[in-house]
Amino acid sequence: MPMTKLAPEPSSAVGAFVISAEPYYRAVGDEIAVYEAAYSERLPVMLKGPTGCGKTRFLEYMAWRLRRPLITIAASEDMTAADLVGRYLLLSGETVWRDGPLTLAVREGAICYIDEIVEARQDTTVAIHPLTDARRVLPLEKRNEQIAAHPDFQLAISYNPGYQSAVKDLKESTKQRFVAIHFGFPASEVEAEIVTRESGADAKLARLLVLVAERSRNLRGHGLEEGASTRMLIHAGRLARQGLPLKAAIESAVVLPLTDEDELRSALREAVDVCLP
Amino acid sequence: MSARRGTSSVAYLAARLSGRTALESALAAAGRRASETGDWVEGADALLHANAGEAALLAFLRAVDNGEGFGAAGVALAGICRETNAGTALVAIEAWQRLGRPRWWPALTRLAREAPESFALGLHQAGVALGAGGESGFADFVAVGLKASGNDPARRQRFFALEDPLARRVLSRGEADGFGANERRLAAFMTALLGRAPFLRPFPAPPGRPPARRVSIANGVILFPGSFPGAPAETIERLYRAAAAHAVAHRLFGASPLKLGALKPLQVALIGLMEDARVEILAMARFPGLRRLWAPFHTARPEGGTAVALLARMARALFEPGFHDSHGFVVKARRLFDEADVTDPAAMRAIGGLIGNDLGQMRVQFNARDWVIEPAYRDDNLGLWEFEGEPPQSSEAIDLMIDAARVRQEQEDGRVEPSAAPESVGRARPAPPLSDESIVLARYPEWDRAHGVERLDWTCVRATLPKIGDARRIDALLDSAPDLRRRVHRLARSARAGRLTRLRRQAEGHDLDVDALVEEAVRLATGDTPEGRVYRANAPRVRDLATVVLIDASESTREASVLEMERLAVSLLGDALDATHDPVALLAFASDGRERVGLTRVKDFDEPFGVAARSRLAGLESGLSTRLGAALRHAGAELERRRAFRRLVLVMTDAEPSDIDVTDPLDLVEDAARAMARLRDRGIDVLGIAMGKGAAERATRIFGRSGYVTVASPSELPSRFADLYFRLSRR
Repeated sequence: MPMTKLAPEPSSAVGAFVISAEPYYRAVGDEIAVYEAAYSERLPVMLKGPTGCGKTRFLEYMAWRLRRPLITIAASEDMTAADLVGRYLLLSGETVWRDGPLTLAVREGAICYIDEIVEARQDTTVAIHPLTDARRVLPLEKRNEQIAAHPDFQLAISYNPGYQSAVKDLKESTKQRFVAIHFGFPASEVEAEIVTRESGADAKLARLLVLVAERSRNLRGHGLEEGASTRMLIHAGRLARQGLPLKAAIESAVVLPLTDEDELRSALREAVDVCLP
Repeated sequence: MSARRGTSSVAYLAARLSGRTALESALAAAGRRASETGDWVEGADALLHANAGEAALLAFLRAVDNGEGFGAAGVALAGICRETNAGTALVAIEAWQRLGRPRWWPALTRLAREAPESFALGLHQAGVALGAGGESGFADFVAVGLKASGNDPARRQRFFALEDPLARRVLSRGEADGFGANERRLAAFMTALLGRAPFLRPFPAPPGRPPARRVSIANGVILFPGSFPGAPAETIERLYRAAAAHAVAHRLFGASPLKLGALKPLQVALIGLMEDARVEILAMARFPGLRRLWAPFHTARPEGGTAVALLARMARALFEPGFHDSHGFVVKARRLFDEADVTDPAAMRAIGGLIGNDLGQMRVQFNARDWVIEPAYRDDNLGLWEFEGEPPQSSEAIDLMIDAARVRQEQEDGRVEPSAAPESVGRARPAPPLSDESIVLARYPEWDRAHGVERLDWTCVRATLPKIGDARRIDALLDSAPDLRRRVHRLARSARAGRLTRLRRQAEGHDLDVDALVEEAVRLATGDTPEGRVYRANAPRVRDLATVVLIDASESTREASVLEMERLAVSLLGDALDATHDPVALLAFASDGRERVGLTRVKDFDEPFGVAARSRLAGLESGLSTRLGAALRHAGAELERRRAFRRLVLVMTDAEPSDIDVTDPLDLVEDAARAMARLRDRGIDVLGIAMGKGAAERATRIFGRSGYVTVASPSELPSRFADLYFRLSRR
């Protein structure tokens, strides 16, 4: 297969994806060191953990820290390999190739982040395989071309084992290509610190919100699919900052979104009530 | 009812009743008691039309007063009268007057319509059912009875005569606002606070004694009373929650049980109250809202000098710093408590002993048997004490304690309380397994390896009468794996929802298929014929499959609780299948020579995984040998009779076929492989689930390289099995 090397696009192609201001991220373990080591070796990384615990924020932070553009793709059931890689389009009567986001990242040396990869169909997911082993190439079958990845390119995916099931699970052959970093909920003081920083709630309120979150997390596997995420607490803190009574803020930001089941919602509400002064 | 029509009807009624003196005067009396235009007129009219007979009509008219609901009652009674006879309508009127329930008519009408033969029996139980659960409880009782007994009048009669244990269980479920109604919510509430699921049970009512009035905690089980008699209805729910929170406080901050030693009953009570106050203070430090929950129940006032009053006053004083009580005993108890270290349970024992002596010297009478702890949300504190080595005193409390411990023990042993008799379907005669009288299902050929031929009609497959176990064992098994169960249910739900298939290059659809569109444009540009199929569409996948699950029940499944794991695996699946209504048959196989290949039908294709199937599954026992080939052939034959797009056999096995009359083990391996190939030829998919060490190699010989999955240890089987089923059934 002939290796056609396209002229590199102007760097403005990915300029929009450069993160200029430092995103707030509070390290909870050695995740920054692990990611840096993985990036130095250009190993693909998988971020595992429940929703709203900071996976995406962490990646933004790392992209900023490593000074690489970050191209994010939200995976969905309807996503095809062409949506990732690119396709021919018609332009004034002629077919023109348009790179997909993955190809763009591969050419320009960005970090490509596929969010919630299990949502994509498994046959779509295999498109990333050649990029994630020693080959580091992206075959474009339609162009009969194979692009070697830019030296700075790295692939990262996120994955929520919470809704792991036979229906939605990563193929073993996909899983085993990645270095994994696990994200849990941070320790309560750290989480309170994050809630304070992100929502503007005072330290006391933040601690209380974390106490509430822990109640809901206790119900995981006992009716709830997931406990309240840090993101939910930040939302609750923001609502409270707007002057909403705390109880109403928690109801809207935490209790109601978590479950539709009456009994469970009542129990959760009662457990929340017990936490409030 | 409009007034005009009402009045005209009274006149009309009077006209129709003229000459029947008794009725005429009853009508006139009713008209005087109630308003003449009341809807009762309508009811009486309906009864008259239904030929309810003089006695029933008379009873109805005499019942009429100023109240409402007589119209509905009369119409319902007329219906009952038509479905059954005038006599039962009369009995219903009497029961109605006695029980005074206006909203029970829909359930009663339904009973008359759907089970006229059982109406009198059902009516007879109505008092009990209403007492236990109100109108909704009665409606539930009727609904369960009709459903459980299907179209079998004899079974229905057994149910409504309360001969069926199910009926008794429905009735004992308790009041609408009692523990039964609150259980799930309480469990979730406590789980949220504790971080692990608590073990809640209704307090078993000790025979011949009044039901428990307080929560009791014993050996990790939290026993809740069926109701809190005497508490106002609007506070019951809150009381249960307060009691649950109190139990949580004990669980979070309680110490290991104390030795009873030589303590006097009064001291025991006081130490209990001290400990209650201690754990509550610690719990409120963590969950400040608990004070709001508990405070309304502390209603003691600073008055009264009996032991009961003083104990309640002290409980409130320790709980509520702002409570003023100047009684010397209360003041001292509060001072000692405030000075003590709340993290130290031993201190409570010391203080309790001390002030107990004070109270003793005040010559206050204390009768431990009559005392019930106040406030009502607190538990009886028996869980604080260690009774080991104590001579069993004939105290009610200790008896209860032992009862509670026994419940726990039985739950641990997997046995059930004596009240939980097996379902009546369980009364099947026990049959000797695989006796020659068992029903011959079919004969199948078998491969003779040595001679390289298939021996015709070599094996005989017989239906084994299932042994009946206790269906509750399956429920308990399912309860023991809540996470797994939830996951399997989710799989089933998503399977039922029928994920959409994306269709590309369609002639019509909701979205342009960009790739097809580009190709189409290229075709146009190059002068090719355009196809016009440039859309994307979604189509739901249709589920059309039938499955046989073969359960190996041979002797080898006794080891490492393989059978138990098989049981759990198929229970999880069966339990979840109600969501999809997939036809799945569960067949257990075990053989005793070629003439006796036994198949036990645990569940048939379209049978729900109900009590009957569950009790058959519970009754499965390990025994005899594994003649896999014959079982496979029979599964194939069963599936051939089903019309389904996809037919599937799942086999759980150690892949080690053997039988008493076979000396060459490879004989049956090769036979199974042939049976398997034959099924494949006929378009039936077979998947082996091979368990145990070295199973992979043996399974390859039988099922082929891609025809099986291995499960390293039996304990993995339950989690893998349902996954496999749903994955296979999706294709």
